[in-house]
Amino acid sequence: MNGISHLSGSLLSILKAAKTSHLAAYLDPGSGSFLLQLLVAGILGGLFAVRAFWGRLRGKITRKNDADQDEPDQDEPDSE
Amino acid sequence: MSDALPSSFRDPGGFLFRKDGVLFRQVNPVYREAYDQLMGSGLYRALVDAGLLVAHEEVMPGRTAAPGAYKVFRPEPIPFISYPYEWCFSQLKQAALTTLRIQTTALRHGMTLKDASAYNIQFVGSRPILIDTLSFDPYREGEPWVAYRQFCQHFLASLALMAHTDVRLGQLLRIHLDGIPLDLAARLLPWRTRLNPALALHIHAHAASQRRFADEVPDASTARRRMGRSSFEGLLGSLRAAIRSLQWQPKGTPWAEYQSMTHYSPEAADQKRAQVGAFLDEARPALVWDLGANVGSYSRVASDRGILTIAFDNDPAAVERSYLEAKRRKETLLLPLVMDLTNPTPGIGWDLRERTSILERGPADLVMALALIHHLVISNNVPFDHLARFLARLGRWLIIEFVPKDDPQTQKLLAWRKDIFAEYSEQAFEEAFRRFYTIRRASVLPDTGRKLYLMERNASGS
Repeated sequence: MNGISHLSGSLLSILKAAKTSHLAAYLDPGSGSFLLQLLVAGILGGLFAVRAFWGRLRGKITRKNDADQDEPDQDEPDSE
Repeated sequence: MSDALPSSFRDPGGFLFRKDGVLFRQVNPVYREAYDQLMGSGLYRALVDAGLLVAHEEVMPGRTAAPGAYKVFRPEPIPFISYPYEWCFSQLKQAALTTLRIQTTALRHGMTLKDASAYNIQFVGSRPILIDTLSFDPYREGEPWVAYRQFCQHFLASLALMAHTDVRLGQLLRIHLDGIPLDLAARLLPWRTRLNPALALHIHAHAASQRRFADEVPDASTARRRMGRSSFEGLLGSLRAAIRSLQWQPKGTPWAEYQSMTHYSPEAADQKRAQVGAFLDEARPALVWDLGANVGSYSRVASDRGILTIAFDNDPAAVERSYLEAKRRKETLLLPLVMDLTNPTPGIGWDLRERTSILERGPADLVMALALIHHLVISNNVPFDHLARFLARLGRWLIIEFVPKDDPQTQKLLAWRKDIFAEYSEQAFEEAFRRFYTIRRASVLPDTGRKLYLMERNASGS
């Protein structure tokens, strides 16, 4: 419980630091929205690594170097 | 004469204003670093070339609305402003995917979206485009996405509710201008959405986190935990997958099926299209509003002639079908929108001017009201003269179809109710409309008993 409180305290201090980092930022990120991202950052990073690995593997198989590109999708707006 | 737009007041980075009828955007000195990075990093060019960001041209600061401007530029005009509560499911979905694509592109250029408002996206035909050039901040490694809450409220929660609960819940955006509160979305979504990993995280856990940390005040202890670049990209990938997975099929509503139920024979429909086309060629409008447009069959008579056409209908399924067709055909001049004519979009938001009413976004040059009058006069009890006055406010020209009382569609509306419409006749219709319009042409549609009119508003009729 103590650990969770400590973690929350650390995260909240990030929130405070972020408040002053962008002079023109005007949007309230919302404490809960901000902290949720930090709490699950490891999972999200893992997801990205898996997706990137899968993209590279597929790129090798299809002999296309598309590892750092978005997956094309017919739903997606026209690509850049 | 310069006027700041009533919707452009939140961002200290700059604002929009009109001068002599031309739209400009001012960049304030506080946004200098970000603007220079946007223009110098290649991000602006990449987004504009991809059709994702509105292009602009810098002008002499002498035209600024306020002293001390860093830059002033003239953005390319957007033909018609629409709002998320007027979009169908796929329009909102495309706007969401466009926002994420822009954010991904921004990261590659060392920048990030500082907001993710659905109101920053507009449609040019079927294509969504970002209109807020000042939405970018330099990306600083380690910081989470400041616009995550707004993206989830404006896009993910709305689309999830439309897909999993009821498509009409998209109208909640008209009440909640900063997007649907996540605790409300979590309550309205079916329980099974908790088993969907993306919705479990971005809606349900997100709402719980907002509850848990709502009253927290940041303390002074040292921050160690950061959100690295790969985590940031993981967040965007997760949101993109969540949005892509949301589906809604436009089936089952009476209006989406109307085209196949109508009693028009193919020949009669062709003749009606030809007559509408002839009237359009006579009036030569630059902007058409088609009211009760259904899936846009007659709207396209106008847009295929090179006329910008806004196709309104109150059925989200009909608008969805029309939009998907516009997207398939890569149409640039047809914009289908959801709107209930018996309760048209009012002015809302701060000072009731932040989001404008449909009347303020007019007038059109020509209004079309085809196979509509019986629904408004009989189903909604609107007297002929009230309808004529309303339509005359919308535009100078009118193409209107009169549907007689013995028409099968009118009889269907009267089947279960008392006929209190003794005055519903072609003669009474013409008399009422002559108070506001001059009838230029009238043509009976063969085999139907219906009549198509081209009318021009009287000088004193607006």
